[in-house]
Amino acid sequence: MRGATSAKWVVGAVIVAMAATACGGGDDSKDSAGKGGGTFRLGITEPTAIDPYNAQESEGALVAHNLFTGLYSATPDGKLKPELAEAVQTSDDGKTWTFKIKSGTKFSNGEVVDAEAFIRGWTRVVAKESASDVAYPFDGINGYKELNGGTATPFAGLSAPDANTLKVELSAADFEFDKKTVHQAFSPVPKAAGPASNKAYNDAPIGNGPFKMEGSWQHNKSITLVRNDDYGFEKAKLDKVEISILNAANGATLEYQGFQSGQFDWARMPTPQQSVAKAKYEPKKQWVEADTSGINYLVAFNETAPLNNPDARKAISYAIDRDAIAKGVFQGLQKPATSILPPSFADTYQDGVCTSCVKQDKDKAKEYAAKGGLKPGTVLDFGYNTGGGHEEWVQAVAQQLKDVLGLEVKLNGKPFKEALAQQQTKGTSGLWRSAWGADYPTPDNFLFPLLDSGSINPDESGKALGDNRGRYNNPKFDELITQARGTKDPAARAKLYQEAEKLAVDTEQAVIPLWKRTQYRLAATDKFTNVKMDFFEDPNLAEIAAK
Amino acid sequence: MGRYVIRRLGQMVVVLFGATVILFCCLFVLPGDPVGSLGGDKARDPAVVEQLRERYGLNDPLPVQYGNFVKNLAQGDLGEDYTQRRPVTEVLGPKLVNTAQLALAAIVLDIAIGLLAGLIAALFRYSFWDVLITLLTTMAVGFPSFVIGMVLQKVFVIQLEWVPLISDGTMKSLILPAFTLAILDAALVARLMRGTMLEVLRADYVKTAVAKGLPRRTVLLKHVMRNSIIPVVTYLGISFGSLLGGALITEAIFNWDGIGLALVQAVQQQNNPIIIGVVSFGVGVFVLLNLIVDLLYAVLDPRIRLA
Repeated sequence: MRGATSAKWVVGAVIVAMAATACGGGDDSKDSAGKGGGTFRLGITEPTAIDPYNAQESEGALVAHNLFTGLYSATPDGKLKPELAEAVQTSDDGKTWTFKIKSGTKFSNGEVVDAEAFIRGWTRVVAKESASDVAYPFDGINGYKELNGGTATPFAGLSAPDANTLKVELSAADFEFDKKTVHQAFSPVPKAAGPASNKAYNDAPIGNGPFKMEGSWQHNKSITLVRNDDYGFEKAKLDKVEISILNAANGATLEYQGFQSGQFDWARMPTPQQSVAKAKYEPKKQWVEADTSGINYLVAFNETAPLNNPDARKAISYAIDRDAIAKGVFQGLQKPATSILPPSFADTYQDGVCTSCVKQDKDKAKEYAAKGGLKPGTVLDFGYNTGGGHEEWVQAVAQQLKDVLGLEVKLNGKPFKEALAQQQTKGTSGLWRSAWGADYPTPDNFLFPLLDSGSINPDESGKALGDNRGRYNNPKFDELITQARGTKDPAARAKLYQEAEKLAVDTEQAVIPLWKRTQYRLAATDKFTNVKMDFFEDPNLAEIAAK
Repeated sequence: MGRYVIRRLGQMVVVLFGATVILFCCLFVLPGDPVGSLGGDKARDPAVVEQLRERYGLNDPLPVQYGNFVKNLAQGDLGEDYTQRRPVTEVLGPKLVNTAQLALAAIVLDIAIGLLAGLIAALFRYSFWDVLITLLTTMAVGFPSFVIGMVLQKVFVIQLEWVPLISDGTMKSLILPAFTLAILDAALVARLMRGTMLEVLRADYVKTAVAKGLPRRTVLLKHVMRNSIIPVVTYLGISFGSLLGGALITEAIFNWDGIGLALVQAVQQQNNPIIIGVVSFGVGVFVLLNLIVDLLYAVLDPRIRLA
């Protein structure tokens, strides 16, 4: 099969601004504690920031998560694990959250970690002059608009009734607010941090995490972390983590070569080499594999013909042979998706909720096409961003649409920024390839941004500034999301999210799910024990031990 | 000559002005908002986009933006890059040093290998060595640099483990990328050298020099070399200029943090301050090197007068 050269789409996006879940590694059944010490080495691409005020992509999150410990952390399967939050109270209206913060822990410069440290950190992210890219998870907190817009300085919704109590007041009910706090932006910071413009702190953040910086970030060269021996929780076992910074153009190849020559202990690999690497390293138990919290899907522009009705969109979905492309183009290393919510969210995952995704069905495709006015010869725009290695599978999908439905598919490859501009424009029609990764482990983080009418966010010219670029707009769906957010009982809430997903993804086929987000890594399990992929697709540095 | 240099430097200002104006217009007409998205596949929060547009003066009309750019440039300030929000001079500084280091190492290898090979090939025309050099240079010109780079890396880094994969700042880690870069140029220099030298060797003044009994060494060094090196110097000047512009593929393969990769990434991300920084530097270097080459002509060949 051809296949080999193009399936770079997972690692292809140079910096994948995504965070996602992982379901454990493929190794270490032996749970020996290891003898401790040791230096763990890996390569990453240059992060945008490692200071939690603007750390955003997986690489920045890796460093920030090891320098800082917040209220909660996320386990690889998307469950919350309390860290500094000793106890939590939620008001019945879901608008007031009170966190009891573990007392007596310190930042590595000796400052105390208390409620003030959280208020300081969160305010620093949202403040207007910070212009942070990760302020949006805070937008449900009272006073966000004023602080972010620059009209008020204190963060009105945050208060500290006593030194170790953090009270958060939200503008609307949100019974999953605690899950948002696993994002590194919710880290506490010491007084020494100063404002976001403090360059010294940006490059050498002082935190309260399992590791601390050794020296400053050597841009485009290296970041070195050493164990924080004053850590307030179970201490890390590694002495040191040496992070080499690799160029984005060749990062995965360098990581893979570094692993092969024994210079890295954790590595991604270029997609074309994955099957060879798997054959070589899986028997040695050095292969780590996880379906993480992300989805690859097609945006269908719901407002504009020809895909302005559910039947037409179902016809497209039925016409695609996901299995054939998964095998042919991706060599079995991508798995077809039948839902928009990932399997890592066990409480809400519904395998097969998208009926049309389960299996290619040419007859049904034609039937729905006829109903939906998708006549043979209809022109269908199919956009994708170039440079991400998507060409080959996009062409395969286009060919299937031509073969099954007789559509005249117009492929439209553009660099990402241009692609984005076109997707946002009112009147854009057809399909667009897209991907989404969770920032925190809640179904809301998929359903609201991708499908709620509140996420279309059009400006005066009609340009959609939100992430719901397909402009799916259904008051019933919006209502389900609002209801779910205001439901205290987790089981009932999960049900509402499932109902919402079924409505949007099955009944109305607002988007077309394609493939799960599956991640592969190599790990030096011959030298280290307990190496796993965490929720953010990074190695679990704080738990790894040398053999 | 002093006047000549001043006039050429004055021309350089004009060239820089023209280049940056064209660049500004090009960047401005590019579709998409330079601060509209994050590094990866996500659109930026519209509120942040607005804050950043304000911060970087992107809402001003183009001439105003250009005016601010020139004003800041005069103070040595190239602005802040759009992703990490660090001063461009701080971002590009170390990259320029790295690129210069690599370019210098490559050009030294170039001259050494190229001149020597060309010399041997010309002096011993049609000998075994000449044929071998012709063969090798043809091959070197034919192989793309990524093949050479990847083969060198596979052998010396992964198989033999002589050189570290990630540069540790020592001379050792400079060898492979410099060699990869030099090999193509050295081949071209060798062929150029051989060609011009053969021509000069047939020239009347060389025959005269030999006939009047000058020692062979003097003939070669004073007459032949000096006269055949002019085209080579021209070529090396241009080649050094483009080396200083960064070597994208070699930098990517050997993780050499130079301006070539920085430029490509900046173009992909529409990180305009970095693009403008690198291009202005490149233009400046090219103009300066051309001036140096022209001055060298006068030194090498007294018949050439600069005015």
